[in-house]
Amino acid sequence: MKSIFIAYDQAHHDHIIEILERHSCRGFTCLGIVQGRGSHRGEPHYGTHAWPSLAQSIITVVPDASAEGVMADLHALDEEKPRLGLRAFLWTIEQSI
Amino acid sequence: MSIYGAAVKRPVMTTLCFVAVIILGLFSLVKLPIDLYPDIDTNSIMVITMYPGASAEDIEQNVTKPLENSLNSVEHLKHITSQSRENTSVITLEFEYGYDIDVLTNDVRDKLDMVESMLPDESQNPIIFKFSTDMIPICLLSVEAKESMAGLYKILDDGVANPLARIDGVGTVSISGAPKREIHVYCDPNKLEAYHLSVEQISALIQAENRNTPGGAFDIGSNTYALRVQGEFDDARQMADIPVGSFEGKTIYLRDVARVDDSLEERTQRTVIGGETGAIIVIQKQSGANSVKISEEVMKALPRLQKNLPSDVKLGVVVDTSDNIRNTIASLEETVLYALLFVVIVVFVFLGRWRATLIIVITIPVSLIASFIYLAATGNTLNIVSLSALSISIGMVVDDAIVVLENVTTHIERGSDPKQAAVHGTNEVAISVIASTLTLIAVFFPLTLVTGMTGVLFRQLGWMVTIMMIISTTCALTLTPMLCSQWLRLNHSHSRMYRIFFTPIERALDAFDNGYARLLGWVVSHRAITITLCLATFIGSVFLMKQVGTEFFPTQDNARIGVSLETHIGTRVEITEDAVRRLDSLWRAKYPEIKVSTYTAGPASSDNTFASLSDNGSHIVSMNIALTDPGDRDRSITEIADGMREDLKQFPIFTKAQVNVGGGRGQGMGGQNTVDFEIYGYDFAETDSVARMLKQALEGINGAADITISRGDYQPEYQVDFDREKLSLHGLNMQTVAYALRNRVNGAVSSQFREDGEEYDIKVMYEPDRRTDISDLENIMVYNSAGQGVRIKDVGTVVERSTPPTIERKDRERLITVSAVVDGAPMSQVVADAQAEIDKMHLPAGISIGLSGSFEDQQDSFSDLMMLGLLIIILVYIVMAAQFESLTYPGIIMTSLLFAFSGVFLILWLTGHTLNVTSMIGAIMLIGIVVKNGIVLIDYITLNRERGMGIRTAVVLGGKSRLRPVVMTTLTTILGMVPMAVGSGQGSEMWRPMGTAVIGGLTFSTILTLLFVPVLYCVFAGRGVKRTRKKLRKQLATAKTEKK
Repeated sequence: MKSIFIAYDQAHHDHIIEILERHSCRGFTCLGIVQGRGSHRGEPHYGTHAWPSLAQSIITVVPDASAEGVMADLHALDEEKPRLGLRAFLWTIEQSI
Repeated sequence: MSIYGAAVKRPVMTTLCFVAVIILGLFSLVKLPIDLYPDIDTNSIMVITMYPGASAEDIEQNVTKPLENSLNSVEHLKHITSQSRENTSVITLEFEYGYDIDVLTNDVRDKLDMVESMLPDESQNPIIFKFSTDMIPICLLSVEAKESMAGLYKILDDGVANPLARIDGVGTVSISGAPKREIHVYCDPNKLEAYHLSVEQISALIQAENRNTPGGAFDIGSNTYALRVQGEFDDARQMADIPVGSFEGKTIYLRDVARVDDSLEERTQRTVIGGETGAIIVIQKQSGANSVKISEEVMKALPRLQKNLPSDVKLGVVVDTSDNIRNTIASLEETVLYALLFVVIVVFVFLGRWRATLIIVITIPVSLIASFIYLAATGNTLNIVSLSALSISIGMVVDDAIVVLENVTTHIERGSDPKQAAVHGTNEVAISVIASTLTLIAVFFPLTLVTGMTGVLFRQLGWMVTIMMIISTTCALTLTPMLCSQWLRLNHSHSRMYRIFFTPIERALDAFDNGYARLLGWVVSHRAITITLCLATFIGSVFLMKQVGTEFFPTQDNARIGVSLETHIGTRVEITEDAVRRLDSLWRAKYPEIKVSTYTAGPASSDNTFASLSDNGSHIVSMNIALTDPGDRDRSITEIADGMREDLKQFPIFTKAQVNVGGGRGQGMGGQNTVDFEIYGYDFAETDSVARMLKQALEGINGAADITISRGDYQPEYQVDFDREKLSLHGLNMQTVAYALRNRVNGAVSSQFREDGEEYDIKVMYEPDRRTDISDLENIMVYNSAGQGVRIKDVGTVVERSTPPTIERKDRERLITVSAVVDGAPMSQVVADAQAEIDKMHLPAGISIGLSGSFEDQQDSFSDLMMLGLLIIILVYIVMAAQFESLTYPGIIMTSLLFAFSGVFLILWLTGHTLNVTSMIGAIMLIGIVVKNGIVLIDYITLNRERGMGIRTAVVLGGKSRLRPVVMTTLTTILGMVPMAVGSGQGSEMWRPMGTAVIGGLTFSTILTLLFVPVLYCVFAGRGVKRTRKKLRKQLATAKTEKK
């Protein structure tokens, strides 16, 4: 089992759910609207007057086989719309109940 | 979920909601009646009291004064004016606008009840009379006739007046100029004397002979029959054969002493239409009825009625007020359409995409049509004010949609899905869209609170624009994002057509942006110069303020001129008529613009309601001139009126002459402005001489025309002074001789002659040529109860006297009004010149001169509007301060108002317009429109600062990026006003100053705002930064010392 943490511009939300479904990853936890900013050039997503855009994040735990495909699709989505901002981080799950 | 989220998620619901609104709006539009102005409630009540036999001074002392003293305590009273003339006292109570006239009428009635017992016994009960605009006739029809002239009254009464009066909504239909049939029995005084007969006897005999009497019922056999005596004359000629007495055994017939003349009324108003004698039919509407609809019905009925009339009787239309209404509304509708077209073009040029243009333009019909629902729901009409509100709003309703669309486009370009972009893009700008709408509402909503005449006009404007703004914002937050999500696509490739058309435009706009950025870069580094230059421009324009004159309302060209002329009092009607005939033919030759000219001369008969309401008499002529449409002629109505005033100088026979543009004088809107000088003082002779002096002084002033003095001349008349002792010696009394005089000169109505169901008066009197001389009066024979004849000269003397004129009072003081029409110069100029002349005059003690007329109205309105302007500025400041959470930024933005006012004065001065109520309203609207630019600019600059830019970079980049939206919204507003400012249709005079003021103010202020506001921002922001740094340094310093 692998865990993926996805932080993205809220405009991406529907697409990301779609990607997860395409890879038969039913379960996920959406952390709702969050604020943040990219490490390099990423525009801040603060929901303020100056930076009105907002981010959302999802944590999902997927089978090892699906993980790579999900990551590839997310990468493609990010490449397609680079100015919106999308990051995903993958790590291994040690144990689950 | 947010409203825009819901709208984007449910496009069908959103679309259908707006479709429903549009259908309701169109439905309301069909039902809306058309009128010229919004309903104007009456604000005056007249109290008329008759006191037969009392002179003007008696009336003033015994009737008018007690009534005035008591009525003066009625609430909300503005002015109380009165006219005391022989037999009648007329008190006019003018109330403040905006109160229920019915409640006030009840108050007046209560006061009258209280004071009634204090009035003289012989005076009749005071009558309350409410004057309203409904009494102004809606149609004047002309009737030309030749052979049928003699029977014209009956023909018109049966064939035209009665059928017209049956039309729904028509009030009264009166015929003037067509004399009624009357049967005269002209007695020869000599023959009467010879046979010892009197007029009264003959009158009584005719009455006794001309009678049908039922005799009851009687039975013959098995039947019952009615018994009747049919004594009424079938033919007027039968009267001649009545035996009236016997003399020396012979029967005397009426024909032996009198002549029976079956003809027309003796004294009547004559009407001349285009040089030919004829009649005028005056149509008034019932109160609250729709003028346009009624006049359409009347016009439709005319051809049908014409068919049933004799062939020589021709009906025509002199005045059709609905014509003016229809033309005005049509020209305004055209204005609205042009405004729409201009706005569409601007949006298309700036956006370059037809889908985006369509999304924005759709808000215009939605907001405009929705406002019709308001009009229909509140029972308003489609009038000048409501249509102008549409025209004003067109440029503003698109602004919100533009802001939303622009932001959604940015999101799409960043890569968002259109649906997501629509929701998030709208979310980001929603607050600022609502805030900018609030600033506009802060401007227009207070307009609904204005009182007075101005309030009547602008209340509707305020409501309409407020409602349209709210709807357009709703539209921008729901319909626009929904349409964006459906129609907008990320599209990098453009068609060839697009490249051909829009590459140059795009390039020009880019060059414009860059140029502005460079200029902005220069000005922020040369702050002192920029600020000095801008302030110098403002101060320079303040000096222009003195050059721009002021007036109340612009004169409107409604193609009607009313002329009232007076010859010397007591002049015979034939002489007056001869002069006016020459004048009429001169004018018709000289001014080909005259479509129809009609005039009436002579006293009105008592049953003509319309004519008897206005001044009439044998020396008074009133002319009614209809001109061709303003678009079809070169000379304006004021030029023609000027020419006419000049022509009148060649007719010294007319001692008083008034040329009234728009039909009537001083009716607030539309007509030429008047300045009334009120001379208060008790003594007749003194006030008269001051009035004459003032008139002379005014004649020398440029711009004052048609100067008239309100107090009439002393009226010459003959009075018979009877000696009571002699009367009683001859067994006579005052009443007998007075009636004897009246019966011989004016005639005694003895009975009615009936024919075809109509009744005509039979009048017995002396032959006309036997009552043209004082000696004829003196020789009148009166019989006492013993049958002895006594001549008038034996019991009294005939003397010539003059009666004092009408006594006018205002606010319980006697006054004379000297009024002047303002023509060819601004009203403020005329008033200033006149005031200088008045200051030079030496007024006798106890006499004062006050100003009223349009000038007073203007002063009232201007002070109302100034207060309103101040209130609006405060409200707008509050809205902005709340939005920016700062007290400095709104102040900076507000400085653009200075340039807006400079621009208004500059353009008024350049175009030669004056500062009047409509241009003032334009200036007030600017408060809201102009700050919008500042808000957009400052908002983006602060945003840039919050994103971490330095002050100068934030200003230059912010300015560059906001230039297009600012220019675009400004251009839509300006171009939306252009048709209004240059319109030449009927009624356009009213709104031209407003359109001009808005265009001038907005252009000028936008240009300067784009430079001045960023510079001011730099100054204040720089100071702010320095202050924070200083504070920080101090804190650090204190921290350091504390550590030590």
